[in-house]
Amino acid sequence: MFEPKRPQKKLKYEELRIYTEEELKNYTEEELKNFKIKHAIPDLEELEKGPWPSFVADAKREALHRRKLADDRVMIPKDVVEDLLGQLQLSFDDGETHWKHGGIVGVFGYGGGVIGRYSDVPEKFPGVAHFHTIRVNQPASKFYKTDFLRALCDLWEYRGSGIFNLHGSTGDIILLGTVTDQLEPIFYDLTHELDQDLGGSGSNLRTPSCCVGKARCEWACYDTQELCYELTMHYQDELHRPAFPYKFKFKFDGCPNGCVASIARADMSVIGTWRDDIRIDQDAVAAYISGEILPNGGAHRGRDWGKFDIQKEVIDLCPTQCMSLENGKLKINNRECTRCMHCINVMPRALRPGTDTGASVLFGAKAPILEGAQMSVLTVPFMKMEPPYDNLKELIEKVFEWWMEEGKNRERLGELIQRQGLWRFLEVIGVPAFPQTVKMPRSNPYIYWKEEDVPGGWDRDIEDYRSRHKR
Amino acid sequence: MEEIKKAIIEYAETSKKTKFYFKDMEKAVQSKVPGAKSRDIKKAASELVNEGTLIYFSTGSTTMYGLKGRGITEDK
Repeated sequence: MFEPKRPQKKLKYEELRIYTEEELKNYTEEELKNFKIKHAIPDLEELEKGPWPSFVADAKREALHRRKLADDRVMIPKDVVEDLLGQLQLSFDDGETHWKHGGIVGVFGYGGGVIGRYSDVPEKFPGVAHFHTIRVNQPASKFYKTDFLRALCDLWEYRGSGIFNLHGSTGDIILLGTVTDQLEPIFYDLTHELDQDLGGSGSNLRTPSCCVGKARCEWACYDTQELCYELTMHYQDELHRPAFPYKFKFKFDGCPNGCVASIARADMSVIGTWRDDIRIDQDAVAAYISGEILPNGGAHRGRDWGKFDIQKEVIDLCPTQCMSLENGKLKINNRECTRCMHCINVMPRALRPGTDTGASVLFGAKAPILEGAQMSVLTVPFMKMEPPYDNLKELIEKVFEWWMEEGKNRERLGELIQRQGLWRFLEVIGVPAFPQTVKMPRSNPYIYWKEEDVPGGWDRDIEDYRSRHKR
Repeated sequence: MEEIKKAIIEYAETSKKTKFYFKDMEKAVQSKVPGAKSRDIKKAASELVNEGTLIYFSTGSTTMYGLKGRGITEDK
């Protein structure tokens, strides 16, 4: 049962709304069709012609909407969206960006959450002379009430550009474009009125994110939402006051399907798993084989793929070949299972994860800024994930301490592990090496010899050696 | 804590660059106050930010510290 760490504010949504229905629907489709923004944007209009929804079309709607609002109903230039499109067209013409980023913008006491952005051609596009980004910490699994979203949209229309991303790569709600003077009022409204915190940016713990978890998914092996919330609250200082060498991301996947792709993106990926056997309902297996139940929950029924063939579609695709069908009964050699989830995904009614659940913890994924992209490396194969999560926090703190001590400026954890070696990382966190950390035994053996373990140490008397071994 | 704060300000006033990484500040403080822990340095820096002596400076991807009034001070 969810227990908030602090009193939850009861939001009075009706008081938080700023615009009336008339103001929100203040233009007709006919007006939109004839609407021209103040700059010529031929290349952007080209983008509208493709088969997909276009951000240009959306931006034009917003531009028209803002133009028709009364002057005193917005706090930043009304033509911000028009200037945004104009500057983008100029960037297309010039083949280079006209944004500058960074600087002394932020809200009081926070080292992250706001990313300064400025136009380098402000005289041409005064509406986007300042165009700062604000990151807002999304709720766990991104569950919102529509009332909340309406209130947030109103706030952003009033104090910002009205444009935002749901969601950025890290998971936050990204509010795109406001001026420096509006940052503190927005921060106040978000935190005091909407009870919503800013997310992480810069050399901080970035906003933790999680999959939909036990809220809607039967495969979640631990409560991802609770863990995400717990660590977000526990590491508030790390989230808002930067002291890390660079960014650090936590992501929580409830099962190895990895819906938040933690293994590819997070410095610490927590991926749900189980250590007992996959639960099998043999009657349901038979129903899949006979065609009574559609495979993959019916996800592929849009086309006739032929009769379901369990041998071809499940057993032969098992990466460790640990499955077989004997007399119509499905057998799994669970010791060999690598938790790829394929069989469970195809036959969810017949197969379910085990009941002794927890998570694997992996470290060091990153995008290719330096050295190329890296996936997380499996470090702790299994850990129970139960409140108050002291076992995980203990591990995290060892990692933070080592990385803060040894990491160079702008060095991600994955790069530090690469530079100093996996053996060093395992030593620091006190986890013994195990065969699964080995990719190629010659280049990264899991037996790490240390000088004190070797009789005579690293030094030897070469003369003595030569006396017994001729060159 | 006061000693650490003093060392931070001294570094912030004299550093070659007006905006610096936390790690560089940490090293400078530790040379003045041997044994100062990074957690305490962070706490002291946060306090100085709250007092308005230090500022955070964002490059867009990483965060640096600076002394208020030194180097770039306006949002230009």
